[in-house]
Amino acid sequence: MDDGDRRAVDLVKELVHRLLSTSPSSTTTSSHQHTRLNPNPIIPSDQQYHQALRYAIRILSSRMTPSIAADESAMVESIKRRLATQGKSSDALTFADVYTKFSSKTGPGSVRNKWAVLYLLKTVSEDRKIQKHQSTSVAPNGFLSSALSGGLPELVGSESNHNLGLRNDRSKVLNNLQGYTDNSKDSRGLVGKLGKMEKGNSDGSLSDDFRSLNCVGDTSRVLRGKVEAGKGWSGGVLMVSKDPENLRDMAYKEFVNLSKEENEVSEDVLVRDVLYACQGIDGKYVKYDKNEDGYVLPDWMKVPRATRSVVRKLCELGWLFRKVKGYISESMNQFPAQDVGTVGQAFCAALQDELSEYYKLLAVLEGQAMNPIPLGSEGTCSGNYLSLRRLSVWFAEPIVKMRLMAVLVDNCKSLKGGAMAGAIHMHAQHGDPLVNDFMKRLLRRVCSPLFEMVRRWVLEGELEDIFAEFFIVSQPVKDESLWREGYRLHAAMLPAFISQSLAKQILRTGKSINFLRVCCDDRGWADAATEAAAAVGTTTTRGSLGYGETDALESLVTEAAKRIDKHLLELMHKRYKFKEHCLAIKRYLLLGQGDFVQYLMDIVGPELSEPANTISSFKLATLLESAITSSNAQYDGCDIRARLRVKMMPHNTGDRGWDVFSLEYDAGVPLNTVFTESVMTRYIRVFNFLWKLRRVEHALTGTWKTMKPNCITSHFFSKLPQAVKLQLILTSRKCQVLWDEMNHFVSNLQYYIMFEVLEVSWSNLVKEMELSKDLDDLLAAHGKYLFSILEKSLLGERSQELNKTLFVLFDLILRFRSLADRLYEGINELQSRTTETSINSGDKVKSRGKSNDKSSEPGSWLGEGRKALTQRAGEFLKNMGNDIDVIGKDYTTIFEGFISQLPVQKHIDLKFLMFRLNFTEFYSQLQPITRGKLF
Amino acid sequence: MEEEMGIKNLAFTVSPMDPEAARTARDSLELVFHMSNILDTGLDRHTLSVLISLCDLGHNPEALAAVIKELRQEHPSAQQRTMASSVP
Repeated sequence: MDDGDRRAVDLVKELVHRLLSTSPSSTTTSSHQHTRLNPNPIIPSDQQYHQALRYAIRILSSRMTPSIAADESAMVESIKRRLATQGKSSDALTFADVYTKFSSKTGPGSVRNKWAVLYLLKTVSEDRKIQKHQSTSVAPNGFLSSALSGGLPELVGSESNHNLGLRNDRSKVLNNLQGYTDNSKDSRGLVGKLGKMEKGNSDGSLSDDFRSLNCVGDTSRVLRGKVEAGKGWSGGVLMVSKDPENLRDMAYKEFVNLSKEENEVSEDVLVRDVLYACQGIDGKYVKYDKNEDGYVLPDWMKVPRATRSVVRKLCELGWLFRKVKGYISESMNQFPAQDVGTVGQAFCAALQDELSEYYKLLAVLEGQAMNPIPLGSEGTCSGNYLSLRRLSVWFAEPIVKMRLMAVLVDNCKSLKGGAMAGAIHMHAQHGDPLVNDFMKRLLRRVCSPLFEMVRRWVLEGELEDIFAEFFIVSQPVKDESLWREGYRLHAAMLPAFISQSLAKQILRTGKSINFLRVCCDDRGWADAATEAAAAVGTTTTRGSLGYGETDALESLVTEAAKRIDKHLLELMHKRYKFKEHCLAIKRYLLLGQGDFVQYLMDIVGPELSEPANTISSFKLATLLESAITSSNAQYDGCDIRARLRVKMMPHNTGDRGWDVFSLEYDAGVPLNTVFTESVMTRYIRVFNFLWKLRRVEHALTGTWKTMKPNCITSHFFSKLPQAVKLQLILTSRKCQVLWDEMNHFVSNLQYYIMFEVLEVSWSNLVKEMELSKDLDDLLAAHGKYLFSILEKSLLGERSQELNKTLFVLFDLILRFRSLADRLYEGINELQSRTTETSINSGDKVKSRGKSNDKSSEPGSWLGEGRKALTQRAGEFLKNMGNDIDVIGKDYTTIFEGFISQLPVQKHIDLKFLMFRLNFTEFYSQLQPITRGKLF
Repeated sequence: MEEEMGIKNLAFTVSPMDPEAARTARDSLELVFHMSNILDTGLDRHTLSVLISLCDLGHNPEALAAVIKELRQEHPSAQQRTMASSVP
């Protein structure tokens, strides 16, 4: 009314003036020189001017709303398309260019309603196009056109093209309008008075007049039928053509009334309530219902069902929000008391951040909710009002996110640490980029404490895990088992995005650092770690890694592992001389040092024949010392010699020293990770076996010394009576054959153990030791070495039977040894006796006195004549022969058993043993024919 | 001279007349004029500036276009219009 209106009126005046003063002919023809003023402007008459002004004001005050929505970019698009379809694509491009410049003009002085300007330009341009078309085709026979229109003045201006489609609709609505037409009968007079109404433009009644006018127009149009449907002549009262707006107005009003009747509560109240509910607060009407478990409108409220369900749907967000919020506050509240864990805290923080985003949205929405919801087409609806429907569009994305968060909260409630990160990671495996991005963002936050732990563990060896969230757990153990048992992977806490192998590498790297620190007392690893970090490019400070950068993590771990393992191995080899100790163990415990073993056997042997409980380990220790000093072992470093000790195993009654004696090697602190107690007991088992084998071999060689044929002189034989002589030869022959057989077995077994087993395994160990990259490899190599020795020496699980047989054989051999000793003792005695008797009788007394001492043992041979002596000797030899037969038979049976069991073993190396033992296929030939008989 | 008037008209919408705003206004008008030329509307700068002001005041562009269209008709159209209004 006041300032703005006056200004508008001034502007309209100006506009009308301009338009009237500009020659129409000039504007139509000079399309590109529009700036040009008409050289001699037609000065419009006052009356014309006033008429035009009145007309213009009438049109402008009609309160028509634009028939299309205010969308600037769509408008630009449509203009461009129009230009393009007219074949002016270069114009279209220029237009786009100019438009971008135009749209970038903002701030004071710029055009505020850009869309309107564009639309205006477009419409004017279109109008002109049509006009031009008319002026070429219609204008020449303007008379015809007026004839076509029935000579009647044009009442209903043929609308611009886009209104054409509305005509049919309009005729449909026409019937409904009947009532209004009736009313308009009274006001018809008004139409005539329109000229006087120019002042009433701001009056509400004006629109009614227009409506009536429109009705008249309609009726007249119907009368004329479709004659002018295709005609594009524009003229007459354009106002009338906009009547659908007025129709719409009426329909809207009706709708508003209807909806007011139907709804007890207006929509904006509901919208506000929903907004409250979405923050977990009860609204005026929308309240949380425990039974329904959700926010609902109370039943008593009179609300259309559609509204009710929309409200319900929207309030799902509130329900989800309550859940998420509840979880956050719950875990935050219990934080100091209960261990939520750093990952859990990070999760809560990330959720909180997401929620604050959500709060921002809600704040914006709440601001919009202040704008009233326009009912009907009341003019300026450009404000951002909020209806339930708009709300549901706004909520589409937040509800997806909130749902995800709620699902996560549900799934992760009971989890913590790595398990939680893993669970979230599982949810991140989603095809929807929205979900995927959201989860990634969340995970980045959630995983940061986890990655920090990994970083510290790998680079500093610190296990900073107060809440037991990490996938590595430590156990308090003794130093020596730190490597094996100190740390282990906790599978449940290992998130899926860290692979098993990577996790193992992580574990080992940190373990190496700890091992270096605790067991080796070394500081060099810190340099290695810094170097590794530098190589990867990350810093050794916090927060350099994140979720989704598994590659970075992997490279960091690999680099760190490589360097630290290298450092550790260097230390093991250089400072702790791992290889030297392995060699020492092989030489002493596995009896690789031949001269030392021989010497030790010699000097310890007599001692060990005593019962086990009478043996002093101190004495044995001194014997060991002397064995070392008198063999090549003395040249070994004293570091190694000092570690070698005698160990007496726990013994039962009746055990001999042989059964309990063993050597021990004390590897010392860092190396006892490799040579643990269990490893050492296995070494001792091997030692015991080898020691026994050596002893048997030693015994057999000892026997050989006594039964060498040259000991029994031919002289002695010749003096013997024929019968005894024969028997003697027979018995000693039996003995020698059996010895030979046993010797064959034992020496081949010895050979096999020494060369096929120990040396081969050792060379493998050396090879693998060179290849090994970390302590685990080293341990594995050593374990393999020891295992192969145990297995191949028939000490393994699978060859227990065989091992037992072997020990029975050893016992038999030892029994044979004592028997043979006795035999040759007897023979020697006989020999000495016969020589004695055969020499002159003067010596008799002397020798008798000598043999007096021995008289107790094989029965007193003294004083009985030559005949009795012969008889006794015969008897003795016969008994001996029988005994040897028995032993031989046992031996053969058992040995055959052993031989037949050998192929059952799976080791390929045992085939070599078999081959050696049965080189001439003697046993395999013998078996089927004379079973169990060798002689 | 005409241009000056146009700017004044446009700047009418901006209360304190600072040079920056005036420049933006002139540029905007120039751009609109350019677009108008491309679209071949046959409007001069001054008319455009009046129209922009009216648009900024919230007038319906359709209505404005209608006014332009109608008033551009030759004088007979004005007579026609008066006749149309007089005939019921």
